[in-house]
Order: sequence, then C-alpha cells, then structure tokens
Amino acid sequence: MRENSILSVQNLHVIYSALRGTVKAVRDVSFELRKRECLAFIGESGSGKSTLGTSLISLIPGTGRVSDGKIIYRGNSKEVNIAKLSENDVRKLRWKEIAMVFQSALNSFNPILKIWNHVLETAKAHGVNDKNFVRKKSLELLELVQLDPERVLKSFPHELSGGMKQRTLIAMSLLLDPKILILDEPTTALDILTQKNIIELLKKIKSELELAMIFISHDLSIAAELADRVATMYGGKIVEIGPTDSIFYHPKHPYTKGLLKAVPKISGGFEELFSIPGEPPDLINPPSGCPFHPRCQYADEICKKEAPQLERVEEEHYVACYKWRGIADEK
Amino acid sequence: MGWLVKLFRNYVFRRAIRAFITILIVVTITFFIVRLMPGNPIEIYIGQLMSQYGMTFQEAKNAAAALFSLDLDAPLFSQYLDYMKNLFRGDLGRSFVSQGVEVVDLIASYLPWTLFSVGISILLSFSIGIALGIVIAYKRGGLLDQIISGISTVLTSIPNYLLGIILLILLGVQLQLIPVSMMRGTVSPGMKPGFTWKFISDVFKHAALPILTYVLSTVGGWILSMRGSTLNTLGEDFVTVAKARGLPERRITFTYVGRNAILPLFTSLTMQIGFMMGGSALVEFIFVYKGVGWALWSSIGQRDYPVMQGVFLIITIAVIVANFMADLLYGKLDPRIKAGGSE
Amino acid sequence: MKKLKNFLWSLFVQPVILIAQNKTGLVGFIVLLIIIFMSFVGPYIIPLDTKVKLDKIYQPPSWEHILGTDSEGKDVFSQIVHGGKAVLTVAFLAALFSTLIAVTLGITSGFVGGRADTVIMFITEVVLTIPQFPLLAVLAAFIRLSSPTLLAFILGAVSWPALTRAIRAQALSLRERDFIEAAKILDLGSFHIIFSEILPNMMSYITISFVMAMTGAIYSQVGLILLGLVPLSGHNWGLMIQLAWTRGAIFFKDSLSYILSPILAIVLFQWSSVSFTRSLEGIFNPRLRVRR
Repeated sequence: MRENSILSVQNLHVIYSALRGTVKAVRDVSFELRKRECLAFIGESGSGKSTLGTSLISLIPGTGRVSDGKIIYRGNSKEVNIAKLSENDVRKLRWKEIAMVFQSALNSFNPILKIWNHVLETAKAHGVNDKNFVRKKSLELLELVQLDPERVLKSFPHELSGGMKQRTLIAMSLLLDPKILILDEPTTALDILTQKNIIELLKKIKSELELAMIFISHDLSIAAELADRVATMYGGKIVEIGPTDSIFYHPKHPYTKGLLKAVPKISGGFEELFSIPGEPPDLINPPSGCPFHPRCQYADEICKKEAPQLERVEEEHYVACYKWRGIADEK
Repeated sequence: MGWLVKLFRNYVFRRAIRAFITILIVVTITFFIVRLMPGNPIEIYIGQLMSQYGMTFQEAKNAAAALFSLDLDAPLFSQYLDYMKNLFRGDLGRSFVSQGVEVVDLIASYLPWTLFSVGISILLSFSIGIALGIVIAYKRGGLLDQIISGISTVLTSIPNYLLGIILLILLGVQLQLIPVSMMRGTVSPGMKPGFTWKFISDVFKHAALPILTYVLSTVGGWILSMRGSTLNTLGEDFVTVAKARGLPERRITFTYVGRNAILPLFTSLTMQIGFMMGGSALVEFIFVYKGVGWALWSSIGQRDYPVMQGVFLIITIAVIVANFMADLLYGKLDPRIKAGGSE
Repeated sequence: MKKLKNFLWSLFVQPVILIAQNKTGLVGFIVLLIIIFMSFVGPYIIPLDTKVKLDKIYQPPSWEHILGTDSEGKDVFSQIVHGGKAVLTVAFLAALFSTLIAVTLGITSGFVGGRADTVIMFITEVVLTIPQFPLLAVLAAFIRLSSPTLLAFILGAVSWPALTRAIRAQALSLRERDFIEAAKILDLGSFHIIFSEILPNMMSYITISFVMAMTGAIYSQVGLILLGLVPLSGHNWGLMIQLAWTRGAIFFKDSLSYILSPILAIVLFQWSSVSFTRSLEGIFNPRLRVRR
C-alpha cells in the first residue's frame, strides 16, 4: 500500500445469495484511496458501485457478504482489514473513521427524535460525552452547510425539507472528523437547484477539511465537478480509472466512451440521443471474459475468453481492455 | 396563553370533541331504538303490568314512566330532552326487576369489575404481544418464529368465549387446578371488601380466568401485528443509517425499530378495546363474572329495559373514553401529530 | 371479454397461486374446503342420528360413534356434519352483505374523496365505535331473530364499518399508484377504471376482507346463540354448544366430546380462514413473504 494512501482495496469480491443463485456484485476490484483525494465511481445500476460503497463499512444489505479480498484501512498508522473486523470493531469505525451518506436523506432520520438527539446519540455512541463540545461542534457544522443551526437542532425530521435534511446529514457525517466520507448518490431525488447547492457544499467541504471522499454516482457531470480521479465500473468490475481530466478528455474504455457520448450536450442540436445498445449483464451468470463484450462494438474472441486486467495508458490512467490502443479518440 | 390555544386547536381538542359528539349520537340512537323498535319495551312493560297486576292502562303507564324517569304523555322530542337532562344528572332510570333500585347504582357496582379485568388484560396482552412480536421479527424464519407465529394464529382463531369454556374444562374440570368456586363470580361469597390481602388475593384469583381468557385470545393478534410492523420498520432507511452511524444494536432495536414499529398498532388498539369490552358480554357470561358484560346478558334475559339501556350506554361510553385515551397516548408518541398535523 | 377474464382471473386464480406458495396457507385452504364440503355435501352422505338412546348417554368416542354421544344418546359426529350448514350459510350471507356495503362505500370514499369521503367516514367512525356484540345482543332482545336471513342481515348491518375502513385504506393507497393516474389521463371513463383497473387489484384484499367478515359473523352468531338470544332450532354447531353448556356437559369427563366437538369444528373453520388469508397478505406486504 502506498505511502499516502488511506484505503487499499485488494481483489475484492462481494456476493449476494439470491433465490436464483449467487449474485456476483463486485468482482475482483482493486484500488487505493489517497489522503484528501476525491475518487468517484461511475456506473449504471447494477454495476456494483453501491455494493462496493457499503462493503467499505461492512454494511452490505440483505444476504451480501465479502467472499474474497481485503479492504485495508490505514487510520492513525494502524492498518486493519475491514472485511475481517468483528461487528463491534466495525461499529466503532463507522462514522468515526469512515462515514457514509446514502442516497437521498428523505428518510434517514428517526421520525420520533429531534435532530439534536440524533447528533448527541451519535457522539455518545463513539465515546464523546461532552454535551457542550458536541453542541458547539454541531452548530459550527450546520453553519458550514448553510443552515440555521439552532432551528435545525431543535426540529423533528418531518419539519425539514429534503434539501435541508440532506445537508443536515452531511453536517452530521462530519461530526466525528472522519478520515473518509463516502457519498452514494447524494443528489439523486433532489431538485436541480438543491443539487447544485449540495455540490457547491461538497466542494467547499473538500477544500476546507482534511478528508478523503468517495463519490458514487451514475451522473458523470457531478463527478467531473468534484472528483480528482474517476473510476468507471461495469458488471462488478472497474473498467477504467484515472485522473478526471484524462478520463473525460481521453477515455480509453469503450464503456466510458459510451457513457460520455450519452450525455446530451446543451450546445448540440436535436440530433438523436446516443445510448449504449444492449442491457446490463446478469450478475448471477455474468458473461465470460470482459463483462462488456456483449455490448461492445470492438469485441472479438479474446475479449470473450478472459477478463482483461487494468493496464497503464498514461500517468495514473489505467484501462481494462484489450482493444484500447486500436480505438481512435473521439472529439 | 397563545400556545394553549394552538395546542387545543389541534389533535387533543379535536379528538375530545369527536369523542363527545360520538357519545351524544350514541345516546340519541339508544333512546330512539328503545322507543321506536318493534316490540317497544315500554309498551311491553305496560302490557305486562296490565296483565300481571291487573293495572289500568293509566296506572301501568305511570308506573312505567316512573321507572324510566320519563313523562310518557309528552311529545317524543320533549321526552328526548328529558332523557338527556336525566343523563347529565346521572339519572338512568330504575330497574324493573330490582324494584326501584337506581340503574346508576347497579352499574356502579358492575363497572369496576369489567374495567379492572379488561384493563389489566389489555395492558398484559399488548405488552407481551409487542415484546414477542419484535423478538420473532428479528429471528424471522427461525424455529421460534414459526412456532410462535403458528400458535398465535391458532389463538386468534378461537373465539374468546369458546376459549373461556376450554380453559374452564382444562383447568377446572380435567386438571382440577382451580376450584370451581374460583371460576365463578367476582369474589367469593361473603367476602368483605377492603384493602386486605385476603380480599385482594381473592379478587385476583377470581379475575384470573377471565383475564387469562382475554389475554390468550388477543395476544396472538398483537404478536403477529408487531412482527409485521417490525419487519416493515427494519427495512426503513433510517435504520440503515443508524447502523452506518455506529449506534449500538440495543439503541437501534428500541428507539429506532421498536418505537416506530409500535405506532401503526395504535389503530388496532382502539378496535381491540372496543372488541374486548364488547366481548365482556360473553366472557363474563361464561365465568359468571359480575361486570357490565354479565349485567347486559342478565338484564336482557330478564327484560329489565332500563338496566339494559343503561348498561349498553355505559359500555359504549367506556369504549369511547378508552379510545380517546389511546388517541392521546398516540399523540404523545408520534411527534408528527403534535405539530398541528391532520390525523 | 378480456376485462371479464382479467376480473375472474384476479378473483379466483391469483389468490390460489398465492396461497399455494405458503405452506400453512395451503393447509388452511384445504381444511377450509374440507369443512365446506362436509357441511354442504356431507349431510347427504351421512344421515343424522335422531334416535334417542337413553342407555348410551355421553359415551366417549368409539368406533361406533367417532365423537361419542350427547345427553340423549345421539351420535355427535353426525350432528357435527349436519351442524355446519346453518352456521356457514348465515355467515356467508352476513359477510356478503357486509362486504358489498363496505366495497361500495370504501371505494367511493377512497377514490372519490372530498365531501363523500368525509360524510361516509364520519358515519363509519360513529357506528364503528359502538361495540358490535352488545349492540347485537340488544337488537336481538327487540327483534325476534327467527329467520336465518334476518340474522344474517342484522349481522351484516352491524359489521360493515370495520370493513369499510379497511377497504378505504386500501383504495387510498391504490389511488396513488401510477396506473390509476395513467388511466385517468387516458380518460378511460370511471366505469372502466373501477372494473378493469381498481377491482382486479383489490380483489385479493376484498377476498381477505370477505373471509374475515365470515369469521366475525361466526363469532357473533355463535355468541348470540350461546346467550340464548336466537330462537333457532335445527342443527347448528352454535346450538350444540349452547345445549351442552346449559346441560352442564363441561362437568363430566365423558361428555367432553359433546361440547368440544362443535368448538373444534368452529375453531378449525376460523383457523383455516385466517391461515388462508394470511398467505394472501403477502402481496400487500412483500416483506412478509415467505422466503423459500
């Protein structure tokens, strides 16, 4: 694991037991997260990105579990494998070291508790019992997210709007100074103006605090604004990863190219919208070899046989494809 | 002062008003049922008096009027007003059978027993039900879940009065666990009321079977409802977020899952109260437990109309009041209600 | 024609498929069918024992009399076979009456909303607050419930509020669903919306409500009989219990079969109804579905 990395995921496999069979949601994923960097995971539904996020705090829903691989977290110079931690140890680590904010906070709060109670109990759960300190800190954080602190603290969740709740949740996520903040679709289900506000807020947090962020979304444009590096996921695997500019200006993987092409341009005329033909893969019986080959126009025999590993394209930029060299860049 | 007005503009006030209006309506319906039904009891009674005692029509009518505290010659509407006036004064008429005894007094001697037995039963049943319900929800699909769910379903299928008979047979006759004298009545004959251990233990011994009957016949429903509600709540986002926040399991179970899972059960609570009070007519019959339920049967059997009317009224009013209290409790537990929301 | 097919399918086929997925539900369904068969077809197969045999009073179960004999030496089993028809018929009629009212009022209240909803719910809530059984008892004191139809009518007239509330709640939740919006936007006409869109989706729920109404009607019916408020004659599980009770059958070990048999018959019917409806509940609450 690198010197300035804070998280190292190595050959991670996550599976779910479903009625029909085993769903291989995350397949052989490896990456490192560096201090203070924002790494975005982009992919469609079922690409495994959300499962990946939840696995990092050992909170995979339903029957999901890590079947192989390691999730090494380095906090305070000690290294632990999150995948092998006991429930009690993982509980201590959650929110305090690694905080995760889920999609749309509309129902993230207990309807019968005031926000202040939420904050206080979170602090207490991690051994922080000084009420005054907690109060001061939470007021500061709520100001940081541009809310009226006093009012929010004494409110019940139903008294706050969707946008306010999302901001409150983000503020609360910073309460214990986590080293890593994972955000899973934090702006989906919010209106577009609120989305913009939240993004601006996240940018602010990123610049002011010493945090590493993992940002999970299907929305490329948001990733472009926030992330330092972007990883595209498909069929449970990382198919391309690299600095944001590289990915956006010289994408090498056919899937990434397709994603970028599919984004409608404001400047464009009424040309037909592009969408990647085909359907997402069945993760119980995933396609052999490269998961994208059924939908890829460049695929041939070798793509069907064995899954390509990530190979270096340029500085920091890797792609998992046999054909990338032969594909011309598009404008 | 302003906050007082605001609070009362809301939930509590509205529920109280509704309870009051319902009582008025029920009282009115009762009055008109008694007078307008085929087989008008007053006319029957007059007829009875005439044939049995050889009274003239006028004499019989006067006697009936005295028992009902009504002026039978006045137009119906003014009789209705009299009736309402009497009610507010606590005058429910006099018993036909126990000559001249005030209905209110009779009811006052019966009501406490029913409130006692039904009240304890509801508390026990609800508590045990939600405790077990949440336990088996967490252990969903396991052996404990299957057994308890199965037993619960069987228990809810047995009508409470039939369960009472079964208990009588099982505990009293077959296994001879309980002496027959304990299975009937509210207290042993000749027992002096008072705060003595002797009296209190006697009361509980006699109430044991009725309470057991009520509890066993309703606990299954609570277990299954709570199980369902808990399973629903477990799927809620805020529970997942609570885990992500690193909250201890215990806290999540009680304050996140438990407290929220109970809320939907309150609608059933109001129905259950009504059902239990209604069922007291049968359960008290089985155990000869002299509460208002037994009094209803007894007064119907003896055609003692003033008592019948009074008991029916009291049972209904008790249900309305109990429901109102349940509504209040719910308002306290769910903050979404307090803040001036609609029902 | 397709609409009719859809309607019938949702009424008969869909519930059966759902039931079959749940073991207990399936058992319940089968037991239910057995009881119904026994009560309506059984009497033609097994004759009623009407001979009084004073030397065979309160015989315990034996090969000759599977469920023993009653206080007059008559066979209990044949009485059980003949005793279901009256009870179940009354329950069926009462539930039918009650469900018809509830569905009409509930759907109107739920979908039309507004004034109609407020009025209907107000009346419903008021009647609902009156405890059902005491009301029935008092009515029975004034109205001679000599005919089964009258009894069924009274039972139905008293039990519709609870059902109405449930159906309305279901209608309300359906109303939010997109396909109703779509149908409205497509201007498909109220009649069509009700019969092709709403009812098929509510059919399972209505079936559940109907079956539960039957169990409620049995509770009230047998209760009234037990208290002696229904001047019925003939063969009837409720009447058997009432006779056994008044004759003190609970006090003799040998007479237990006499009083327990009708109780068991009733409990079996109630249990099978409840089990069978629980498996249908799975569709409203996928989280309750049995995982196999």
